[in-house]
Amino acid sequence: MTTDHDTARQVVVRLDDVHKEYGDAKALDGVCLEIHAGDAVAVMGPSGCGKSTLLNMVAGLDRPTSGTVEVQGHDLGELNETGLALFRRRHVGMVFQFFNLIDDLPALDNVALAAQLTGTPARQARRRALELLDELGVADRRNNYPATLSGGERQRVAVARALMNRPALLLADEPTGALDSRSGEQVMDLLIDLNQMGQTLLIVTHDPELATRCASRLVEVADGRIARQSVLEATA
Amino acid sequence: MSAVWRASRAAVKRRRLQAFVIGLVVLCSTTTVLLALGLLDVATSPFDKAYAAQRGPHTVAAFDPAKATPEQLAQTARRPGVTAAAGPFGQSVLDVPKGWLWMPGGSLRVVGRADPGGPVDRVEVLEGRWATAPGEIVVAWPSAGTPGTELLGTTLEVPGSAPLTVVGFAAGMGKSADAWVSPEQMTALRPATAQMLYRFSDSATQARLDAALARATAGLPEGALTSAHTHLDLRKAFSSLADAYLPFMTLFGVLGLLVSALIVGNVVSGAVVSGYRHIGVLKALGFTPNQVVAVYLAMTAVPALVGSAAGTLLGNALAGPVLRIAFSGIETGRAAVGGVSSWVSVVCLLGMPALVVLTALVPALRAHRLPTARAISAGSAPLTGRGLRVQRVLAGSRLPRAVSMGLGQPFARPGRTLLTLAAIVLGVTTVTLATGLTSTMLAYSEAGRGGGALVRVEAGGPDNGRAAPLLGDARIEERLRSLPGAAGVRARALAQVTLVGQSRPAFADFYRGDDASSAGRIAEGRMPGAAGEVVAGPAFLTQNGLRLGDRVTLALGGRQTSATVVGELIEGNARALEASWDTLLPLAPDARAVEYEVRLAPGADARAYAAAAEATDPGLRASVSDAGNTATTTVVAFSTVFTVLLSAVASLGVFNTVLLGTRERRRDLGMLKSIGMTPRQVVLMTVTSVAGVGAVGGLLGIPLGILAHRLVVDNVGVVSFPESMKAVWDAPQLSGLLLAGVAIAVMGALVPARSAARTTIAAALHTE
Repeated sequence: MTTDHDTARQVVVRLDDVHKEYGDAKALDGVCLEIHAGDAVAVMGPSGCGKSTLLNMVAGLDRPTSGTVEVQGHDLGELNETGLALFRRRHVGMVFQFFNLIDDLPALDNVALAAQLTGTPARQARRRALELLDELGVADRRNNYPATLSGGERQRVAVARALMNRPALLLADEPTGALDSRSGEQVMDLLIDLNQMGQTLLIVTHDPELATRCASRLVEVADGRIARQSVLEATA
Repeated sequence: MSAVWRASRAAVKRRRLQAFVIGLVVLCSTTTVLLALGLLDVATSPFDKAYAAQRGPHTVAAFDPAKATPEQLAQTARRPGVTAAAGPFGQSVLDVPKGWLWMPGGSLRVVGRADPGGPVDRVEVLEGRWATAPGEIVVAWPSAGTPGTELLGTTLEVPGSAPLTVVGFAAGMGKSADAWVSPEQMTALRPATAQMLYRFSDSATQARLDAALARATAGLPEGALTSAHTHLDLRKAFSSLADAYLPFMTLFGVLGLLVSALIVGNVVSGAVVSGYRHIGVLKALGFTPNQVVAVYLAMTAVPALVGSAAGTLLGNALAGPVLRIAFSGIETGRAAVGGVSSWVSVVCLLGMPALVVLTALVPALRAHRLPTARAISAGSAPLTGRGLRVQRVLAGSRLPRAVSMGLGQPFARPGRTLLTLAAIVLGVTTVTLATGLTSTMLAYSEAGRGGGALVRVEAGGPDNGRAAPLLGDARIEERLRSLPGAAGVRARALAQVTLVGQSRPAFADFYRGDDASSAGRIAEGRMPGAAGEVVAGPAFLTQNGLRLGDRVTLALGGRQTSATVVGELIEGNARALEASWDTLLPLAPDARAVEYEVRLAPGADARAYAAAAEATDPGLRASVSDAGNTATTTVVAFSTVFTVLLSAVASLGVFNTVLLGTRERRRDLGMLKSIGMTPRQVVLMTVTSVAGVGAVGGLLGIPLGILAHRLVVDNVGVVSFPESMKAVWDAPQLSGLLLAGVAIAVMGALVPARSAARTTIAAALHTE
């Protein structure tokens, strides 16, 4: 479903007849999807329907069996492993259900890490990381190790890390799945704020509340296919 | 099938790679340990082993047959303390002319024996057959190898008897005779002595041997026993050569054992620690703590058993050629020293799995005490407080992030890092020791060389059975010097002299002519420059109790001259000394050279020179000197084998550490890749995590290796290395050795690092 308004905006993600098979099992079966700049798209569906596989395709973490995945004009099928790594570094930020922070690094260094991998000097990377932690309200926890942070704080640090290289697309896989309701609320508010500032979002979730509050468009997946797409009204 | 066994089998199947690594490390370790133990076993008492294999006599006694009857002598074999005896055998002494076979002439001690076997002194027939009829004689061959069949059939004229024909050559470590004939032939020779060979229950010292012989011969008439010599005399002469290699071989053996034990410990404890979570799951299922320990021990014992069996087979296959090379420079007599005793195989086959299980027991017992909930969370639980400060400092450094993260990783697992470091240190120590020994031995093999090739021109004469040269001694030297390509000529005369005051004769080489390159053969002092000066190798000086500056008196053919020891050669025959030609003149004024050593100019054609030298006089035979050196080959070959094996084992230890590390950090690696770490950066980070440890290992291992090298070269008995050959280290070589630690680490880390770089991110990130 594409509107005239969408056509005017830049296409960030385009999936064209994407198939993904694991042996005999079909995880994705002919998926076509477009996401435009500034969109907040929520992907929902039952367990095993293929929604995480869809996210992995867009992030370049996995390759389709057939079909085309384009993000920011890059055909991911044409990139080798190094090319995919550089693509993720420049264009994509990822937030996971279980945070995936490095336990050996304090919050500030976890965030700075993403920029340091691109060759940004440590001091400059830490300055930017501190700004982000400050914006997300966890600057006072910058020297804490992940083990000493609450779930909500860990996820905020993870979001800061995802935003470190100013990605065109922020991908979130069940970002509130491991959080209590209060922390979940905070993360939801954070995602809404980010989208309102122009950040394109693709969120995979089981949580209808998260989808309706944060997303402007809902994509429902069943048996590896997009069963339905609908425009949501903002409730925030 | 019990639950424990089922769980163990499942664990081995699920962790195929880890089981394979344990098996491979145990295989390499078992091979190394088997070689090391085999080496120690053979090197500890090569003479005793070889002597025991030939049932060599502890005492060879000579009796006067006029005073003791054969029956009386036979009874001595049944006296207390005698475990085996042979004889009485008739013994006679024959005169042999100069040049008969290879002998310088003199007397030949002949014994009458019906066969070469028996309970004592089993003689090995090398060529031909045993003497079974009158007119036949078997001659003892004194050194390694065989004389060949062409000398069979040589006859010996015996005054008052029919000539004896040589029908065989044989060797016996007991040195009980110079030749053997049949008992019938001995009767014809009218033996003046009866020989008895004894093995005693207590043969450790000369005093005990004397006491045992006294007990055995107590009932004999007085004066019946005329002389006796013991195996201790032979062992002393033998071990002076064999002992020379012992420090070097022992050190390698000990290094092999240490590295192997360390690596096995590292691998197994790593496997158990990384399996804590699995242990927790088993406990949650209802396995008792003891059953969990049993599962883990069985899980590590299975690949260890397979590895030790394969390693024992491989070690035995390698032991033959390796030990043959190792002992090729040692006078081992006729017994085979190259074989490995069966106890070594048994120890390896049972000992290595036992070591693995014991090493696994320590961490498994920790798991035994671990609460189930904590065990389940182990592996994914944050490891706060370990090396975090170091990691913070590194994170703020100017190093590329992949490098700084890699450098910080060893601090997260200090125990494992220390084990890996120890393995690398021992690996670098081995490489340093081997490099130093190779440099020393190569310098040693080059000693006295220099310039072009060496051609030896031998003069014919009674000693070699060829016609004597037509030209005079001085004329030959002059002709050889004038031939194209000759850069220097040195003439050598050989004489068997007596050192007044010493029981054994010595072989003296007297030189004249150019000796520019001979100075390189001196370890201490200088080469003889005038009459009355001698030099010898360390073995000769030690055995004769001589030091630099001591005076000796040389006797030859009733003439005597005194000389001073002015130098110690780097190496030399234990029974040979060297002197200048001027020292020979008072002893043998008419002596002439038996050989001329011609040093050619660089680039000169040695074969063409040899042909031209032979054309000068039909009495000359020329040969191009072989550049090979047994000691150098032995040490270099052995060093290489151990270095390769120990470096491989050390690398496998690193491989295992990195493999465990990447598996434990699988989720971190997935995350790092998800935020844009390239495969190359993953490899760089992983390799850096051990390269730093490798560099530290290099820094620690090099001084240890240099120390070990000094220890070895200072204690090689038959070779006295000058300081110039010991100080083999220079800056480029040390820099290279520093890289050896890094190389061992990188070699071990590369495969798991590349595997980590290929980790599927999506799967890794969902392992919570």
